[in-house]
Amino acid sequence: MKKEVRIGFDVGGTFTDGVIVKGKDILSKTKTLTTEDVTSGIINALDDLLTASKVDPLEVGMVSFGTTHTTNAIIERKNLNKVGIFRIGAPATTAIPPLTGWPNDLKEAIGGNENVFIINGGSEYDGRDIVPLDTEAVQNACKELEGKVDSVAITGVFSPMIPDHENRVAEIVKEVLGDDIHITLSQNISTISLLERENSTILNASVISVMQRSINALKDATKKRGIEASLYVVQNDGSVMSSDYAVDYPIFTVASGPAASVRGAVYLSGITDGVVVDVGGTSTDVGYIVDGFPRESAITVTIGGVKTNIRCPDLLSIALGGGTIIKNSGDKVVGIGPESTGYNLVHLGKSFGGPILTVHDVAVARGGLNKNLDIFTNNFVTHPEKIKELSNDLVMNATKNITEMLEVTIDQMKTTPEDIPALIVGGGATTMPKENVSGTTEVINPDHFEVCGAIGATIAEIGAQAEAVADLEVEDREQAINEVIEMAKNNLEIAGGVKDTAEVIDIEEIPFAYMPGKRQKIRVRVKGKVFN
Amino acid sequence: MSVYDLLEKWKVKKYRVITLEDLEDITVGSTLLATGGGGDPDIGFLWAQKIIEDKHEIVLLDPEDIPDHELITSVGCLGAPVVLTEKPPGGNEIYKSLEAISTYLGKDVNAIIPAEAGGVNMTIPMAVAGALGIPVIDADGMGRAFPELQMTSFYIGGVSPSPVAASNEKEEVCIVDSEEGEVSERIIRSAAMAYGGISWISSYPMSGLEMKKTAIHRTVTHAQEIGKIVRENQQINTEPVKDFASFTGGEIVFKGKVTDLNRDFGSEVTKGFSSGLITLEGIDSYKNSEAKVMFQNEWLHLEINGKTLSLPPDLIILMDPETGLALRTDIIKYGYRAYIVLIPADPKMKTDRGIEICGPQAFGINKQYQTLDQLKE
Repeated sequence: MKKEVRIGFDVGGTFTDGVIVKGKDILSKTKTLTTEDVTSGIINALDDLLTASKVDPLEVGMVSFGTTHTTNAIIERKNLNKVGIFRIGAPATTAIPPLTGWPNDLKEAIGGNENVFIINGGSEYDGRDIVPLDTEAVQNACKELEGKVDSVAITGVFSPMIPDHENRVAEIVKEVLGDDIHITLSQNISTISLLERENSTILNASVISVMQRSINALKDATKKRGIEASLYVVQNDGSVMSSDYAVDYPIFTVASGPAASVRGAVYLSGITDGVVVDVGGTSTDVGYIVDGFPRESAITVTIGGVKTNIRCPDLLSIALGGGTIIKNSGDKVVGIGPESTGYNLVHLGKSFGGPILTVHDVAVARGGLNKNLDIFTNNFVTHPEKIKELSNDLVMNATKNITEMLEVTIDQMKTTPEDIPALIVGGGATTMPKENVSGTTEVINPDHFEVCGAIGATIAEIGAQAEAVADLEVEDREQAINEVIEMAKNNLEIAGGVKDTAEVIDIEEIPFAYMPGKRQKIRVRVKGKVFN
Repeated sequence: MSVYDLLEKWKVKKYRVITLEDLEDITVGSTLLATGGGGDPDIGFLWAQKIIEDKHEIVLLDPEDIPDHELITSVGCLGAPVVLTEKPPGGNEIYKSLEAISTYLGKDVNAIIPAEAGGVNMTIPMAVAGALGIPVIDADGMGRAFPELQMTSFYIGGVSPSPVAASNEKEEVCIVDSEEGEVSERIIRSAAMAYGGISWISSYPMSGLEMKKTAIHRTVTHAQEIGKIVRENQQINTEPVKDFASFTGGEIVFKGKVTDLNRDFGSEVTKGFSSGLITLEGIDSYKNSEAKVMFQNEWLHLEINGKTLSLPPDLIILMDPETGLALRTDIIKYGYRAYIVLIPADPKMKTDRGIEICGPQAFGINKQYQTLDQLKE
């Protein structure tokens, strides 16, 4: 049997969206309430999809999901692993020990300072040892950690370029603590900038069990329903990774939601460069698409109060959504938001007989909303007479203001003066004006925009990256770049991709400041397919 | 001897103990004053935070309260910022270089002054002074950041950086003694390379009197006030740029987003610096205008619609509109949005000798220095 059916989920704060697709066809979609444990919400959505689509479970070839499991665990300090922390870098780096600047409750939740060891070792940028690795100190530390930690985070100075010391410490940890201990190596997590990479590595090690449990639960659930398919998880750049890989690298899922929306919008519209405007009830996230992937943010990302350098999509959020309240004085608009009726829109909004004028009501009055989304049970307007009472001028003025808010936000995300297409997606997408939005070539609501993130999860593409430092005074530039490309392709394979399908998305060269010579960092991103 | 023994001996009653919030504000403010350079400020901030959490007190003194005859020294790091972020200090490096200076001169160093009001080298002296139990002086040698050792108001005012001591985490030390600031700079930079990219230096040993004459006064407090303005605006979600400009006597000259970024490559071009040119396209009321900013670690030369509007040593500051945080030359990217604010440099940086040492020609810009007001006309 051909396994052409794919199932995707996108877990949001309020709703868990799901879709089931076959080739390019969307067989069924669903929106269910997100549950506290997240997993049961996904399983509810799965049951909805299987029932509605009547698909033979054996036809399903891929199940993938974007999830908030790890983010929630870190923010709520719940179910976190106790982490043994190794930093390889003494006698350098000791002025600022690991966990400096962490919130106390989070520090305690992962076991605190007593599991921290700074070991003599690490590398200089040119590959020399700072000092030789103190293997005996690692062994002694492991003995102290025995029975006290579930996972281990290892961070070595310059390990993204010279991984030897980190790898050696990992071997020793396994020798002493056994093969079952989960080890996160910073070289696999992020890039240069020791403290932020170390934070990212420790956070990753702290949520391994959280991810493992949720993946096991979903594997069980799919198996029980007769599905024999590989499980994938959406990562921060919008591509997917195999579930086995996700257990080792759960931190790569912290921004998977918005990333999946961007990917879904690309897939639904066929547009690979432009802006994606994801409209919710109270706010709108604007992301930028470059070659089909979300543009990455260069600013450090704070997770649960901890500064990290994990790669996340560049997003601009504004307080404008379907439920946003419009304040007016006669025909004049005095203000739009930031207050929103949120989920009380269906009681408070004018369209539903309520007293409050919202962005949704203006869209209804404009005639912009003219059909129900089959995913929602309620009608978009129950009191049309209330909408007819609105003056034309007020509707026009409000529309003008909303359009301006969109224009400013889109313009801020743009990197070129040329007009670009805008893809409007998300549950509140239909409430946005689509005519005369300056800076855009067209404004599109792609079909199925309300479950865009879940569709993004079904796109079977994997992303990976690699980086290294080259000295162009002694190395050939092209050869140096090719070596990094090869590394990135190998990483792609490790993440679950087919190496032959790898395509280079981006090559970045960053020179080292202040240093004589021609040293530069080379970073390569690739993407590839999950299936051949 | 504790810092309070020193204060008693000097009969100083007015001083300020730096709190964690002060430190946050100083970091934000000094990163703005760093005019795009100064390196990742986090290392200095976290180090000083650790010092405060370890129950040390960072005591800030007004420059006028330092006795004339006391030996004071500047401390900081010199080298590649990217190495600094990957290989933070062990903590003893600077103590070793300070010790070397003391031994060489046969005198104790009793106060620390930051060399620049920029980024990491403003907060590191605070950490070091706090740990050593000596005061840190509310002043610096630039009122901004510059890339080279000799580009200071100290040197402009006739104080040589020598003897300079440079150390690393293995506590290896070298000492350079030269009357020529440029020579000291070259040798110390080579030491940084030999150490693996970064060196921890003690420089400009001078008397309290020399410091008072040549330093730019009260810049730590100035940086802190700037940080406070940014923080307070963030709390009420307003753009800090107007308050920032009016407090610093600066002028907002542009708002735009980066549409082109051209980094130079190759040591014969860059001489080891991070240099290049960014182009910003105007937004909001600056629509249809174009700004070009040349950088060499710091933002150095600003041109709007083809007209030069700022030359070193005057300050060009690129500020993120919403957060009010500094945009640095090492992190700037396509699509970043910025206000450009110009602030006149301190008069001590703009004497004839000052223009020679850190004016346009010191950076290979083939132009005569003109003030911001002259350029505006």
